[in-house]
Amino acid sequence: MSKSMICSCEDVTADDVRHAVSRGYCDVESVKRYTGFGTGICQGKSCLSAVAALLEKEKALKPDAVVPFTPRPPLFPTELRLLASAPVDESQPPVGGLPQDVDAFASALRPEGPLPAKAKVVIIGGGIMGLALAYNLAREGETDVVVLERGYLCAGASGRNGGGVRMQWGTPALVELAKRSIDLMKGFARDLGINVWLRQGGYLFLARTDAVAKRLERNVTLHNRYGVPTRLVTPDAARDIVPGLTMKGCVAASFNPEDGVIFPWPFLWGYAQGCKKKGVRVETYTDVTGFEVSGGQVRKVKTDRGDIACDTVVLASGAWSPEVAKLVDVQLPNEPHRHEILSTEPLKPFLGPLVSVLDSGLYFSQSMRGEIVGGMGDPKEPAGLNMGSTLRFVSRFARALMEQMPHVGHVKVLRQWAGCYDVTPDNNPILGRTPGLDNLLQMSGFVGHGFMMAPAVAERMAKWMVTGESDELFTRFNLRRFAEGSLEREDMIIG
Amino acid sequence: MRRLPDASLRGRAITVDLEGESIPAIEGEPVACSLVAAGEPMLARSVKYHRPRGPYCFAAACSHCLMRVDGLPNVYTCRTPAREGMKLERQNAYPSAKVDVFETIDWFFPKGLDHHEMFAGVPVAEQVMAKVARQLAGLGLLPKEAAPTPPESRTVRTRVAVVGAGAAGLAAARELTERGIPFLLFEREDHVGGRLAHGAPERDAPEITDVATLAPASLTTRATVLGLYDDEAGRFLAVGVWEPTGTRLLKVYAERFLLTPGGHPPMVPFENNDLPGVYAGRAASLLLRRHDVAPKVAALVGWGDELYGLARLLEERGVKLSAVVDLKGPPPSGAHALAVEGSEPKAHGMRSVSAFSFTPREGSRRKVHCDAVLVSVPVSPSFELARQGGAKVSFDAGRGLFRVEADADGRTEAPDIFAAGDLTGGGSAKDAAAAGRRAAQTLVGGLS
Repeated sequence: MSKSMICSCEDVTADDVRHAVSRGYCDVESVKRYTGFGTGICQGKSCLSAVAALLEKEKALKPDAVVPFTPRPPLFPTELRLLASAPVDESQPPVGGLPQDVDAFASALRPEGPLPAKAKVVIIGGGIMGLALAYNLAREGETDVVVLERGYLCAGASGRNGGGVRMQWGTPALVELAKRSIDLMKGFARDLGINVWLRQGGYLFLARTDAVAKRLERNVTLHNRYGVPTRLVTPDAARDIVPGLTMKGCVAASFNPEDGVIFPWPFLWGYAQGCKKKGVRVETYTDVTGFEVSGGQVRKVKTDRGDIACDTVVLASGAWSPEVAKLVDVQLPNEPHRHEILSTEPLKPFLGPLVSVLDSGLYFSQSMRGEIVGGMGDPKEPAGLNMGSTLRFVSRFARALMEQMPHVGHVKVLRQWAGCYDVTPDNNPILGRTPGLDNLLQMSGFVGHGFMMAPAVAERMAKWMVTGESDELFTRFNLRRFAEGSLEREDMIIG
Repeated sequence: MRRLPDASLRGRAITVDLEGESIPAIEGEPVACSLVAAGEPMLARSVKYHRPRGPYCFAAACSHCLMRVDGLPNVYTCRTPAREGMKLERQNAYPSAKVDVFETIDWFFPKGLDHHEMFAGVPVAEQVMAKVARQLAGLGLLPKEAAPTPPESRTVRTRVAVVGAGAAGLAAARELTERGIPFLLFEREDHVGGRLAHGAPERDAPEITDVATLAPASLTTRATVLGLYDDEAGRFLAVGVWEPTGTRLLKVYAERFLLTPGGHPPMVPFENNDLPGVYAGRAASLLLRRHDVAPKVAALVGWGDELYGLARLLEERGVKLSAVVDLKGPPPSGAHALAVEGSEPKAHGMRSVSAFSFTPREGSRRKVHCDAVLVSVPVSPSFELARQGGAKVSFDAGRGLFRVEADADGRTEAPDIFAAGDLTGGGSAKDAAAAGRRAAQTLVGGLS
C-alpha cells in the first residue's frame, strides 16, 4: 500500500506529522513525541531534516522556531558491554550539563496570542501534576483555569521518567495513593480517549542486604493490609519470574504482580486535550517571571506574555518549584537532583516486570515497544537543575544491569537522557496551603514518583479546592511540617 | 542491482548464508552490498506495517538494512564486512520476510494506524490490542548468549581531535601534521576521503590526501565517535574502535575538537520511498565506485549538483537511466539530456522497485521502468556532536536542513569546537578542504 515515509525506523508517514500538527503539536520536540519520529534505531539521522522542512513549509512553525530536538547520545547504537568498559571514578561527583543553547527554549516558539487577563486558578507547570489537577478541577466544575508551561508538554520529569507505576511503598499514604492512581490509569483511555499502554507485569524489588530485606518484609505486611498482593520471593522464585536473572549478591526479593509500566507521554496529551475540551487554557512555551503579592495573597502571576490576575495559584513545577517559589519569597526545602536514564534497541518481549535493586538504585523494565528502559541513581550526584548526559552513567548502569542480566551485553543503547527528581527532606510531597500566602497552593516534592501519584493526588486536590471539604492529605504533607519537625520518612525511593 | 561485468577483483570470493541459502559475496565488502548484488534487495520487514525493506543509505544512518547476523539482532549490514559462512536472517516477519502475514497491517491501514487513539477505552478490544501490540512490537530477539568482555578501554590525550576523514578532515590533518601539532583523526568508514572516495565525482575535486603523509599513528579508521562528554578530567570524545578481537572504547581528551563528519543521506518523503530498490544517491555512488555494484536501469530523483554528478558517473559505467527528475526547479543547462523538473515522485513495485513515476512540470504524469530509484539530495549535516558540545545549530529553510553555525575560520559558539565541511552547510569538496585547512590554522592559534 502506498505510503510516504518520513521516518522509516518507526514507520511514521508525512501524513502522521500533519496529523500531529492538526492536534496542536507543531514544534519539533512535540511532533517527535507524538508521532515517534526520530525515536528509532537511527535517532533522527535520516528523518529530522525532512520533518523540520515539512513543518516549516506547511507553516506549522516559523523558520526561527525550527529547532532540532535535543541530541541524545550515543550517536550510534552502542552495545551495553562496550559502555560498561568505560572507566568510572566513583570517588568523584558526576559533572557535565547541557549547553545553554540546548537547555533554553527558542523565543520564537512562544505563542503570539494574548493570555487571559484573569483566571480563577493559575497552575504553574504543565507536567502531569498541573494538567491532571486542571482536568480534575474542570470535572468538578471549575473551568476558569490557566495552566502555564515553560516548554513543550513532556519537557520536564513527566516526559523523562521510565514509566514505572507501583503500589510497593513504605508508608500507608503512598500505598493508597498509588493504588488509586493505577485504578485511574486503567480507565484513562476510556475517560480521555488516548491509549497509555498500562502493562501490569509487576515490580520485582531485589535486596542486597538484610536491612533492605527487612524493609521488603515490612512492606508485605503493610501492603497486604491495604489489599496489595505483594509477596516475598526467594532468589530461585525471582529467577522464575525473570528468566536469566542472576540475583548476584541479592538475599531477598519482593514482587507485586499488579505493579507495572505505562507510556508516560499520552497522559499529558490526554489530560491536556481533556482540559481544552472543557475550556481550560493550556499555555506552553510561557515562562513565569514573577508575582504580584498584597495582603498575604498572590494577586497576579507575571509571565513573559503578560500578567494574569487570579484567585488561586498552584505551584506544580516539579524540580523547578523551589526556583519559582523564590520569585514570591517562599523558601521550599526541595532540591533538584539529576537522574539519568537510557533506552535500548527494541526487542521482542523477554522481560515481564520492572526489576529494581533497591540498594544501588538500579532499575530496568521492557517498554511496550520492546526497549529496555532503565536508570540508576548516583550517590555522588550534586543538587542542581542539570539535565546533561554522562558516559559515567551509562557505564555504571551497563555494569549493574549486566551483573543481573548477562545476556543483555550485546543489546545496543539508542539514547540516554536525564530528568530531575524533586527531592524533599523526608521523600514525601509538599501539598496544600503555603503558610503566610494563603492562596498559593503547593503541589510538588514528589521525589521521582510524582508521575504515578498524579492521577490520585490531582483527584483529591481538585475536590479539596472546589468543595472546601477537609482532606488529611493536605495537612499531612503541608509545607509546615518541615518547620514543625514532624517528618515520616518514605524509604522506598529508587536511586 | 548487480555486480558489473567489468568488476575488478576486490577480494576473495566467499559465500554467506541467508536463511539457509548460499549467497556469493566478496570477503570484506559490506554484506548488504553482497545481498543486493546477488538480487536480494529485501532484507527486512518494517517495525509497524511490515513493509518490505532493503538497504537505503549505506551509511548507518537509517534502519533499512538491519538483520540478525550470527545470532545478534539489529546489525547494520551496510557496515558489516562479509565473512565466509556468516548467518543472516531477516527480522520482524512471520513466517518469512517474503511471505509475511503481518503485511496485511499495511493493507488494512492505508491511511496509517493511529496507535494513540485506536480502540482507546473500548472494553475488551483495548486489552486484546495491548497484548497483540506487545508481541508485534520490538525488532529482533534478545541474543541467547552472554556477551564476551570487549577489549579493555583506553584513555588518550591529544591537542586536537578531528572527527571525520573526508575532504575537510584530511586537509586539516595535513595542516596539523605540517605544523607539528599532535592530533588524532577518527574515521567511521574503513576508508578515508568521504565523498571524494565514494560520492559522485566533482569537477576541481582535490586529490585524496595520502594518509602516509600524515603524522604517524594519527589516523584511526573504523572508529565511530559515540558522543562528546564531560567528566572530572575534562571534555572527551567516546570512540568505539573496531579491532579484530572486538570493539574497544577510547576516551579521547583534547584541547580542541575539529568536527568534520559530513552528513547523513536523508529520507525524502514520497510514495513508497521505503521500497527495496530505493537508494540514497550516496549509497549508489559508493556501491559503484567501491564495489562495482550498480542497477541495470536507474531513475534518479532529487536536486543539487550531486544528482547530476551521479547521473554522469552511472552512465560512464554503463548504467541505463530512465529518468532524471529535479524536484527543486528547472535543471541547470547542460545538466543531463534526460533531466526535467518534476514533482510527486513515486516508486512502484511489490517487493522491490520495478518502475518510477512523476509529474513533469510540463505535460502529464510519466511512468518509467527501472530496477532502482536513486534519491540524490544534499546530505543532512551530522550536527549532533557539535550541538552536544555547545555549538549553535540553525535551520536553513532554503535547503531544508540543519547546519552548524561557524565563521569562515571554523569557529563555533563553543570555544573548543570548530567545524568545517558539509557540517556547516554544504559546498564542494574543494570548499570543504579549504575550510578544513583554515579551521586547523585557526584553532592552532589558540592552543596553549
